[in-house]
Amino acid sequence: MTSSSQVVIVGTGVVGAVIAEECLDAGLEVLMIEAGPRVTRAEIVENYRNLPLGAKPDATASYPPADWAPHPFFGQDYLGSTGPDTYNPTYLRYAGGSTWHWAGTCWRLTPEDMQLRTLYGVGRDWAFDYATLDPYYNKTERALGICGPADPADQWPPRTRSMDYPMPHLPLSQGEQKFTRVMQDKLGLRNLPVAQARNSGTPYDDRPACCANNNCVPVCPVGAKYDAATALKRLEAKGATILDNSVVYRAETGEGNRIAAVHYYDRNRGSHRIAGEHFVLACNGIETPKLLLMSADDRNPAGLANSSDQVGRNIMDHPQQGYTFTVSEPYWLGAGPVVNSGIMETSQGAFRSEHAGAYFRLNNFARNRFIAQRALKSGKVGRALDEEIRRLTATSVNIVSAHEMLPDPENRLTLSSAKDWLGLPKPSVHWDVGEYTRRSSRDYSEPMVARIAEAMGATDFTPAGGKFSTSKHIMGGTIMGNDPADSVVSGVCRAHDHDNLYLPGGGAMPSTACGNSTITMTSLAFMAAEALISEAKGA
Amino acid sequence: MNIVIFTLSAGLALAAGAACAQETPQALAERGRYIATASDCVACHTGPGGKPFAGNHVIASPVGGIVATNITPSVTHGIGSYTEEQFSDAVRRGIRADGANLYPAMPYTAFSKITDEDMQALYAYFMTAVEPVDEAGAETALPFPFGIRASMIGWNLLFRDTATFEPDPSKSEEWNRGAYLAEGPGHCSACHTPRGLLMQEDGSRFLAGAQVGPWHAPNITSDPEAGIGSWSKDEIIAYLGTGRAEGKAQAGGSMAEAVEHSFSKLTPEDLGAIATYLADVPAVSGPARFGQGRPGNMAASFRGLDGMPGGLARGAQIYSANCASCHGFDGQGTADQYYPSLYGNSATGGPEAANFIAAVLNGVDRETAEGHVFMPPFGTQPNAFNSLSDDEIAALAAYVSASYGDGSFAVTPDDVAEIRAGGPASGLLLWVRWLMGAAGLAVLILAGVAGLAKRRRMAA
Repeated sequence: MTSSSQVVIVGTGVVGAVIAEECLDAGLEVLMIEAGPRVTRAEIVENYRNLPLGAKPDATASYPPADWAPHPFFGQDYLGSTGPDTYNPTYLRYAGGSTWHWAGTCWRLTPEDMQLRTLYGVGRDWAFDYATLDPYYNKTERALGICGPADPADQWPPRTRSMDYPMPHLPLSQGEQKFTRVMQDKLGLRNLPVAQARNSGTPYDDRPACCANNNCVPVCPVGAKYDAATALKRLEAKGATILDNSVVYRAETGEGNRIAAVHYYDRNRGSHRIAGEHFVLACNGIETPKLLLMSADDRNPAGLANSSDQVGRNIMDHPQQGYTFTVSEPYWLGAGPVVNSGIMETSQGAFRSEHAGAYFRLNNFARNRFIAQRALKSGKVGRALDEEIRRLTATSVNIVSAHEMLPDPENRLTLSSAKDWLGLPKPSVHWDVGEYTRRSSRDYSEPMVARIAEAMGATDFTPAGGKFSTSKHIMGGTIMGNDPADSVVSGVCRAHDHDNLYLPGGGAMPSTACGNSTITMTSLAFMAAEALISEAKGA
Repeated sequence: MNIVIFTLSAGLALAAGAACAQETPQALAERGRYIATASDCVACHTGPGGKPFAGNHVIASPVGGIVATNITPSVTHGIGSYTEEQFSDAVRRGIRADGANLYPAMPYTAFSKITDEDMQALYAYFMTAVEPVDEAGAETALPFPFGIRASMIGWNLLFRDTATFEPDPSKSEEWNRGAYLAEGPGHCSACHTPRGLLMQEDGSRFLAGAQVGPWHAPNITSDPEAGIGSWSKDEIIAYLGTGRAEGKAQAGGSMAEAVEHSFSKLTPEDLGAIATYLADVPAVSGPARFGQGRPGNMAASFRGLDGMPGGLARGAQIYSANCASCHGFDGQGTADQYYPSLYGNSATGGPEAANFIAAVLNGVDRETAEGHVFMPPFGTQPNAFNSLSDDEIAALAAYVSASYGDGSFAVTPDDVAEIRAGGPASGLLLWVRWLMGAAGLAVLILAGVAGLAKRRRMAA
């Protein structure tokens, strides 16, 4: 049984996977520890196909959690939520992590997104600027196989890239093309092709081209979408050791407050210790702060990396509001990936000193899986039912507004008194999307959606009623900054308190902007890997 | 077009002298480039990720790996010091400049048909237009007794025909051009003709199909059921140019390489000539492999039920989980047949299951002007979609044959294991060593064994 490694990475999601590969390519010894099980794509595909119709829209229903590695799951009580809003992200404790069920959307941040404090007097600035991040975005786009528009006018952010996308963007579906025309003609808004980690018309990374199953969430059934599970066997071929079903419950500090080891439970509740020289906790923005808090010791009574008292605080998301309505003319969505275009320009503007920006998208999910029950409830049968399903599939649409959110120390993860199967504390999050975001919804985004709906010919548009749902983009819990007094990690995601501990990923992000966070999380992972490798080589 | 005209005239030995007399050195080398393409030199003589023609490509044979060497004009590590005669002897006779014999992994038995004019052009191309690479490659080291290259002398005496191509005046110019390309540079028979006792090609079953490593190079005679006699000329041209004939067959394995590097780069006229010639190859009969099967699925036999179903339903569930997302829930493929249907498909149609098993285990990778075709492997590769067991692939084969073929696959897990290991193993090593002790025929037989070597083209 392995008991030590030069580099120890907890978590096998996209962040852990890219750091592992960088370290392996640099000749370092790598051990990865995963709490959950390692499954085949075939199993998940069949899980999904065996689901009852009503459960199919649930992105996690195909991924039942292991007893020892609980994650948010229908009917189970794992992640608590307190406060004025409900926090219910989904994530997976499976080898390969939550990229199993992401849509693959990869919007870069803009230069302005990284300077909210300087430009708009709100939130926090990043520890570095866009030009510093750009080369790591380039790396991420190549590593994950991100396709995107070649025309600079269609790129996001416009005209800031130093390299082209490795693949052209995917074609828009019939409904998306119509939406793009309507938005341009009636509202002067540009609906851009999404940059996405998906092989467009060509194999890439030894994975096949997208063949438009429209099944990206909950699982790409062919592996055309990047997910970290596709990388694991390659990592092993390069020499990595991967332990699955191994739940790390404590990081142990030693001399100089450096991390000396991590401890994990196997699925028989046996405890094991893994020593190492360099440690990466890449368990996402919930599980990483949870593990740091659980690891409190005499040197670090408030938990590891927590001398600033910011561990678990500033948790952020892209609070979103969904609008499902019927339009008079058929749109026919569903050819191609489930998220394939979006309006991003609305995320930027001087208004950000007053309220959040928003990103609007017309989801490209084939609508039949959502409207079948509605059609059944209409009481129609036989051919009339078929026709109703067809009508609703063509004319029902779903628009989402995703908002940015400011870091608030009160949005805080704590260890609850409730225990999981292993006896470890369950996490709980106090959640308030905040006035900055509420104001955006009230004064900006919902009026905008109403105009979008009108332009599309909506017949039954109804407002969201001030309710927000969670985008599942977990950010902020181990926030980045130059000042160790009010932040957890440095610009390279190294813990201020522990010289050999990296906490890369969404938790480090000090601003959310409006676009999905994975591309930025992964770019931070590349930055952290570079710092870790340079340390290991210098040592 | 000049290239075509030159090549045509050279191939048919018509006015060749006049054409060559007027040829500039550049034109000569360009003509040689085309012969090199038609001969697919690059496929074997380029290592994985290596520089063109720098060698280091290991060709698997049942008696060990044979390394294709550096054939760039490097004086230190390639063929830079070869005279034209030495070059010709290597290509057409299987004799190196130092006098040692090549193993017939180098298909010199076919290349012997290359005309003097084309050989001159090929030499000019390699000496003047190929970038020299001064890098050493690996050496071939076959186990005793196959390591003795002199063993080839006897085999050559028996089986090497040194005559260059002679046109058949009773056939059309196009037929003769196709015959030259197919029998000479294209070396079709190296893979598609079954071998005899001493591993020589069995002329009585010319192009009737043979096993080549994990893949089966099928019958491409004019038999309408077992061969490709039912294909139109345009279908053969499409297959050679793109690697697929819709509703009939797709190229995998080394045939995919041949399409990618060689056939797809030949002129349509030359592909047409090959098609015309193949349509006239004497039919050798065998089981039918086209037009079998029908769309359908067995989802009702396992969907929503607990546990692993038995019988054909097990294979159906494996199909649903691993295959259906590209090849369709009914096996229908995509509308454009980029992902082919599994019914009406030669890989699933008849009793020969090797190409089905090899495609599942190894995937398919083929890039032509039509696009990059890529099916992920289901073996133990790092990018395997799923590492299916021998047992699972056997169950899948039973379902696929029953639903989308004629139901005649009889695949056991051991059959899958054999393909996974690289194809039917040869008992020749033991056999040869026994014979060496028992009789004085060693030289002949050693020679025969070495003849196994290079048989690389096949079609799925």
